[in-house]
Amino acid sequence: MDIFGSFALLLALLAAVYAFGAGIAGILTRRVLLTKSARNAGMAVFGLVTLAVAALEYFFFTDDFSLAYVAAHSNRALPLFYKFAALWAGQEGSLLYWSWLLSIYAFCVLFLNRKKHPELMPYAGVVLAGVQIFFLILNNFVASPFHVLGSADSSGVFHLTRLPEGHGLNPLLQYPEMVIHPPMLYLGYTGFTVPFAFALAALLGRYPGEKWIHITRRWTMIAWGFQTVGILLGAHWAYAVLGWGGYWAWDPVENASLLPWITGTAFLHSVMMQEKRGMMKVWNVWLVFTTFMLCILGTMLTRSGVVSSVHAFAQSSIGNWFVGFLALIFLVCLWAWWLNRDYLRSENQLDSLVSRESSFLFNNLILLAACFAVLWGTLFPVLSEWVTGSKISVGPPFFNKVNVPIALFLLLLTGVGPLLAWRKTSLDALRRNFAWPLAGGAVAGALGFVFGFRNFCALMCLILSVFVALTVFLEFYRGARVIASRDGANLFTAAIDLARRNTRRYGGYVVHFGMVLIFIGIAGSAFNRDTQKEMGIGQSLAIGPYTILCQNFDQVNNNNYQSERATLEVFRNGHSVMMLYPERRFFPASQVTETMVALETGPLRDLYVVYAGRSPETDKPVIHAYLNPLVKWIWFGGLVVVIGTGLAMLPNRRAALALRSVAETSWAKPPEGAPAVAAVRSRGDAHD
Amino acid sequence: MTRGCVSEPLRGAGRALAVLFILAAALMAFPSAGYAQQTARAKALGQKLMCVCGCNELLTACNHIGCTYSHRMLQELDDRIARGESDDLILQDFVQEYGAAVLAEPPRKGFDWLAWIAPVVVPLVALLLLWQIARRWRRRALLAPASGPAIPPEMLARARREADEESDE
Repeated sequence: MDIFGSFALLLALLAAVYAFGAGIAGILTRRVLLTKSARNAGMAVFGLVTLAVAALEYFFFTDDFSLAYVAAHSNRALPLFYKFAALWAGQEGSLLYWSWLLSIYAFCVLFLNRKKHPELMPYAGVVLAGVQIFFLILNNFVASPFHVLGSADSSGVFHLTRLPEGHGLNPLLQYPEMVIHPPMLYLGYTGFTVPFAFALAALLGRYPGEKWIHITRRWTMIAWGFQTVGILLGAHWAYAVLGWGGYWAWDPVENASLLPWITGTAFLHSVMMQEKRGMMKVWNVWLVFTTFMLCILGTMLTRSGVVSSVHAFAQSSIGNWFVGFLALIFLVCLWAWWLNRDYLRSENQLDSLVSRESSFLFNNLILLAACFAVLWGTLFPVLSEWVTGSKISVGPPFFNKVNVPIALFLLLLTGVGPLLAWRKTSLDALRRNFAWPLAGGAVAGALGFVFGFRNFCALMCLILSVFVALTVFLEFYRGARVIASRDGANLFTAAIDLARRNTRRYGGYVVHFGMVLIFIGIAGSAFNRDTQKEMGIGQSLAIGPYTILCQNFDQVNNNNYQSERATLEVFRNGHSVMMLYPERRFFPASQVTETMVALETGPLRDLYVVYAGRSPETDKPVIHAYLNPLVKWIWFGGLVVVIGTGLAMLPNRRAALALRSVAETSWAKPPEGAPAVAAVRSRGDAHD
Repeated sequence: MTRGCVSEPLRGAGRALAVLFILAAALMAFPSAGYAQQTARAKALGQKLMCVCGCNELLTACNHIGCTYSHRMLQELDDRIARGESDDLILQDFVQEYGAAVLAEPPRKGFDWLAWIAPVVVPLVALLLLWQIARRWRRRALLAPASGPAIPPEMLARARREADEESDE
C-alpha cells in the first residue's frame, strides 16, 4: 500500500508537470487539443492525490505502523476520528493535505469553467499546475509520508520493520476542534491560490477589464471565509485547550495565519474600487500576489523553524524550498507586472477626498499597516539576531501596543466607509448619515465611563463599536423602511428582502457587525482577572462573584490516557451553581501530559479553571481560576461573520418590480442626461 | 516452607518497591508544575517577561507541564519582590541571568529601537505617499475636460444614489 501511495503521488506530479507544459504549449501554439489535455491532466491530479491520501489513511485506520509517519502520529487506542485527523498532524502528512486541498480547488476551478473564459482559463490552469508541481515535489522527494521503517542488512537487503504500537497523536491535537481547525485554515491558505492564479493569468494574457475579479470574487470570499473560521477555531482551541486563559498569544504561527487574512480583507475591499471605478488595478493585482505569497510564507514559518513557536512542526531544511519558491513567485509576478503594466492603467481619477474611494484607500492603508506591524514583529527577532548577534523576544506586549491603535482606527473606518458616497459626499449627507451613530457612540462612551470602563482602549472600542453597529443598523433600517412602506411588509421581512436584493452589500454589513462583536469581545480582555491557590479538599478560592470549593481529587483512566481530576463546586452568592472538573491527562503512548480546562461560559463572562498541578513545596493541588469577560462575543461574532460571508456569496434576487417602478418614475422620460445616468447605473449593475 | 519464609519478607519489600515505583511513575506522569504565585506586582512584572523554555509565551502564561524554567523564574520573581527590589533592578537581573530574550518587548535602544520605530514610520510614510497620490488623482480629475452631455446635478445625484442602493457595497 505504501508503494501504491508513493506511485499515486509520483503520477500526480507527472500529471501536474504535463498540465503545466502542455498548458504553456497550448497557449503558445493556440492548439485547443493541447489546452484541453492540459486541463484534463490538471483535473487528474485531484484523483491521484486523493488516492495517495486514501492510501495513507488506510495505514492509519488499520494501525499499520510500518510507515514512519503513521508510527509517529498514531496508536491503536486513538479514537477513529483522530486517526483521520492524524493525516495533518505532522510535516509530511500536512504537506500532502495541502496538495490534496489544492488539487480539489484546482479540479473545481477547471471543471466549473471548462466551457467558459477560453482565453483566460489556459493561463489559470498553468499557474495552478505550477503551484501544484512545487507541493508535489515536496510530497515526493522532500517530505514523503510514505517512508517505511526498516533497515538494510550487510548484504544491502532492506528489511521492513512493523512496529507493534505507534507513538500516538500529540495530545494537544486530541480535541474535536483540532479535527476542524487545520482543514479550515488550509482551505483558506490553499484557496487564495485561485485568485492568485486568475490575477496572474489575466495579467499574462492581458485579459480585458475586471473579468478576473468577477470570476474570482466568490473564490476569494470562500478562501477568506475559511481562513476566518480557521483563525477563530484556532483561537478557540488555544483558549479551551492550552490552559493559559487566553485565545491569542501573538505566536509566530498564529501571526502567519493572520497575515494573508489581513491582505485578503484589504483585497475584498479595494477590489470594489476597480469594479466600480476602474481604479487601483495595480494595487489589486499586487494585493492578490502578496496574499498568496503570505500564505506560502506562513506555511514556511510553520515548517522551517525560522521562528520559534509551540505550534511549529519540527525544524527541517524544508524552509529553503519555500524560500526558493517564494523568490520564484515574486520574480514571476514582478516580470508579469512589468511586462503588462500598461494594461493596468487606472480609468478614473479621484473626485473627492471625502468619498467612498478615499475610505477604501485609507482602509487598505490601515490594513496593510496592521499586516506590516504583525509581519515586522514576527520576523524582527530573526533580523535582530542576524544584525546584533543576540536574541531578543517580541512578545504580546509589543503586538498589543502596536496593533491596538491600528485596530481601533480600522474599526472607525468600518463605520465611516459605508456612509460615504462614491465619488463625493456632500456636507449635508455627512451630517445626515453620521449624526445618529456619533450620538449613539457618545452615549455609549458616557455610560461605559460611568459603569467603570476606565481603560482608554476598551472605552474607545466600546464607542466605536456602537458607532459601527448603528451605521449598520441604520443602513438596514433606511432600506427596509422604503421597501416596507412600498410593499406593506413589516420591517423585518423588508430587511430580509433588502439583503436578498443586494447580497454583497448587505452581507458585507453583516460581516462588519460580526467584526464589531469580535472587537467587543476582545475589549473585554482589558477586564480579565485571575487567581491561583493551593487547594486541599474542603478549601475554597474566590474570584469575582464566584467561590470555588474543592470537593475531591481523583484519577480517571482509560486506554488512551490517565487523568488526575479535581472536582470543584462553584457557588455564586452562596448558591451552588455548577460543578467543574479540570484535569491533567497523561498519554502513555506519547509520554506527554496535558491540561484539560474546565470552562463555564456565558454571554457576560467565562469562568475558566485550570488544574495547574501540585505545588512542589506542599504537594497540594494548585487551582488557577480566570474570570474572562465577554469572550463568548468573539465566537458569536465569528458566527455572524460566517453568516455575512455566506450571504455575500449568494446571488442577488433582482427586485424586478421595484426596479420597474423606479424605472417608471425616474427614467420613464429620460432627458438629455440619460446616457450618463445609464453609465452610472451600468457599473453598478455589472458587479452585483 | 523455607521458601515461603524467605519469600514473605521479600514479597513485602517487593510490594513496597512496587508502591514506590507507582508513586514515582505517577509523579513523573503528573510532574509538579503548579506554582501559586502571586502578588499583583509579581503578575505585572511576569507579563513583561517571557518564559525561556522555548514556548514563546509570557512567563505568567507558560503552563507547560514539567516546564523547568517558569516555576523557578516565578519563584525568583516572588523572592526578589519580597526582598523589596525595584522593578528595573529585577528586570535587569533577569536579563543578566537569562539574556535579552527574557524581556517580552524589544529593548528601546540600539538596533532594537527599529522594532518600535518601523511600525509607526512605515505607515506614516505610506500615508504621506497615499495623500500625494490622492491629491494628484484629484488634480487630474479637476483638470480633465468635461465630456458628455450636461446633466442636472439633482438628477445625477439621484442616479448615483439609486445606483448605489441597487448595487453598491
